[in-house]
Amino acid sequence: MEPVTDLFARYEVGPVWDEMFLESGAARQVASDLHATLRSLSSQDLEDRCAERDRSFRDRGVTFSLAGEERPFPLDPVPRLVSAQEWSVIERGVAQRVRALEAFLADIYGRGQVFADRVVPRRVVATARHFHRAAAGIAPANGVRIHVAGIDLVRDEKGEFRVLEDNVRIPSGVSYVMENRRTMGRIFPELFASHRVRPVADYPAQLLSALEAASPRGRSGAPRVVVLTPGVHNSAYFEHTFLARQMGVELVEGRDLVCRDNVLFMLTTAGEERVDVVYRRVDDDFLDPVQFRSNSILGCAGLVNAARAGNVTIANAVGNGVADDKLVYTYVPALIEYYLGEQPVLPNVATYRLEEPDTLAEVLERIDQLVLKPVDGSGGYGLVIGPHATDEELVTLAAAVKASPRSWIAQEVVGLSTVPTKVGGNLEPRHVDLRPFAVNDGRTVWVVPGGLTRVALPKGSLVVNSSQGGGSKDTWVLADPQSEAPEPATSAPEPILSHSSHPFDAGPQVGPGASNGQEQQQQQARTC
Amino acid sequence: MSWRVGTTHRSHYRYGTRALSSYNELRMTPKASERQRVLESELLLEPAAAVFTYRDYWGTVVQSFDVQVPHEALEVVARSVVETSAPAPLPEDGPDWSALRDEDVADRFAELLVPTAYAPFNPNLAGLARGAAEGATPAEAVRRIGELVRSHLRYEAGTTAVTTSALQAWAQGSGVCQDFAHLTVALLRQVGIPARYTSGYLHPKKAAVVGERVSAASHAWVEAWLGRWWPLDPTNGDPVGERHVTVAHGRDYSDVAPFIGIYQGGALLELEVEVVLERLA
Repeated sequence: MEPVTDLFARYEVGPVWDEMFLESGAARQVASDLHATLRSLSSQDLEDRCAERDRSFRDRGVTFSLAGEERPFPLDPVPRLVSAQEWSVIERGVAQRVRALEAFLADIYGRGQVFADRVVPRRVVATARHFHRAAAGIAPANGVRIHVAGIDLVRDEKGEFRVLEDNVRIPSGVSYVMENRRTMGRIFPELFASHRVRPVADYPAQLLSALEAASPRGRSGAPRVVVLTPGVHNSAYFEHTFLARQMGVELVEGRDLVCRDNVLFMLTTAGEERVDVVYRRVDDDFLDPVQFRSNSILGCAGLVNAARAGNVTIANAVGNGVADDKLVYTYVPALIEYYLGEQPVLPNVATYRLEEPDTLAEVLERIDQLVLKPVDGSGGYGLVIGPHATDEELVTLAAAVKASPRSWIAQEVVGLSTVPTKVGGNLEPRHVDLRPFAVNDGRTVWVVPGGLTRVALPKGSLVVNSSQGGGSKDTWVLADPQSEAPEPATSAPEPILSHSSHPFDAGPQVGPGASNGQEQQQQQARTC
Repeated sequence: MSWRVGTTHRSHYRYGTRALSSYNELRMTPKASERQRVLESELLLEPAAAVFTYRDYWGTVVQSFDVQVPHEALEVVARSVVETSAPAPLPEDGPDWSALRDEDVADRFAELLVPTAYAPFNPNLAGLARGAAEGATPAEAVRRIGELVRSHLRYEAGTTAVTTSALQAWAQGSGVCQDFAHLTVALLRQVGIPARYTSGYLHPKKAAVVGERVSAASHAWVEAWLGRWWPLDPTNGDPVGERHVTVAHGRDYSDVAPFIGIYQGGALLELEVEVVLERLA
């Protein structure tokens, strides 16, 4: 029997890949059960479930900071489905990418063989803003620099997943993957009964295991791991507390840490305790005032040399940002072949390097048809989508690109795939991307089966970043129908609530009138 | 002919109220090179601290230490003995411009061909540099740019600070060796000659008497790539030789700062720096 109101009444599949519907209008096989369930719902049913969702998020304080304001994290009620077959490609491709980038980082902060072999020009690395010379010569305990990666994927017009950018500095968003799942379990229990959804709740355990494996004292030495946060004002503070709680480790700020003789200690009411691994959510520039910004109080003085001395592991490693550089991105397929001897499983998006004058001229010629991105940005900041920009914006952009071609790349506009998304009382197609998260413990690169699907909420928009007002979806990776042994129950397990994440008082405060000073000597010799 | 030179670099920091802790990195150990042998080097610290030594990205020996006892003063004495000589002269047929513009050279020295905060590019400076280089071989251009800097900057201590950029020094027409070196690397890079900032010590007396201790200061000069690194001292125009003790190279001062430190506590009251050089043989 047809429902009174059809949620899909206003659903018009566009020229891009729609993940629920075929061009014919019939539902794709992977989404047929979901489609049937949604068709049986009224607008009011959906509203009721959204109200339940909002209660759930509010109760647990799952928020996101947008333009300085805390808002409930925007979760669309319709899950995004990924078949087992599609997932196996993503999983292999993401793990492959992480392995290649690990090799690349080890190389450029070491011998630089990749330059000698002319795979990547030295220039590209030496002029990358996040290439940190202070990281040269630091050999991480188990060889891992990318303990956590978030590789952003998009699905093109043909349904093929492509890598949009690599995030191997401080990728965030995984807490929302787990919170979204929990909430979906509350609002759509029947869908979990009809779908075999692979669980995402293993993530904290996998992360903790990888961090422990990175301890300079080895896994057996009961390594102490801490999560270092810049503090409550950071937009991802919720995630920092979440991960510390889920892993059962301390959440610390810079003032809780002290380095002495290149050994890192945490200050607690019970005295000092040695720290082996710092899962830091503080940017490189603020991590150690001796090496980077001397006025930073978010990090810990001496931390980088403690890592250099092999007494502590910084996760992710200092200097990883060079691998996120969007000009370096254009070389990643070549790096995969060079380091791994493999063909890339996931292709890049067609990208142009602007340092070649001919390419630059061609790009400027059709700048209104391309996407221009700053090479060292993340979170969508500074990105310009030509077809959506005003003439004035394009003029400004062209001038900026001409002034500094190294600072930009150009990409073809990818018609991102669409997924049914609640808009008012209906479901409409909206563009999405996908950020799967990978954890490297030095032996295996594990990819959490799921990931953060981000949705561009305005009609036709291609900007999905949550920092730019995008929404999210729960990503359901379906278990292989051939596999006999299903994984453990999938209905959003309760998180393990560990002891309080911040049991000790603040560390020693700098007294009134005290300051952090910087000491330097000008070189001022003259001659006689 | 070579010299044996003893260097003593003493830094004394006195704090208004006691410093609770401090973290420090020194780049004061002379560098071994074709024209320089390092015979001895030692470091004395008061309060005492364990020293951690490593080589940085540029190959410079870095000594790092932290002090965790409250202290009113910190004294650092870096001593070394080196044997120095003049570099072998450049061959008559040094590289021409096309050799410097070669893609491999440009790539190898990419980071020494671009502007930095201390050595920014500027259209006026570029014009001057091009003017100096016009009609000259690269080796001749290096010499002329050194002269250009010397003719535009007057040596005057106290007119610039550790944070002054080449452009600021240029605008005011004066500075110290750090400013001379920054301006020189900026000009060289703007005509496509890879250039690196060099830090070290300079014995002030050409006719040094063996055994005489002479007061000096930390010094900075420049090396330009002319098929190999060729040093020039833009502050005084003298050839770089036995009197120059090389410590470190980098893009600018920030890569080679002899002393960087972070401390927690009262304001810095006084900084005393004393460099004493002695020709030993």
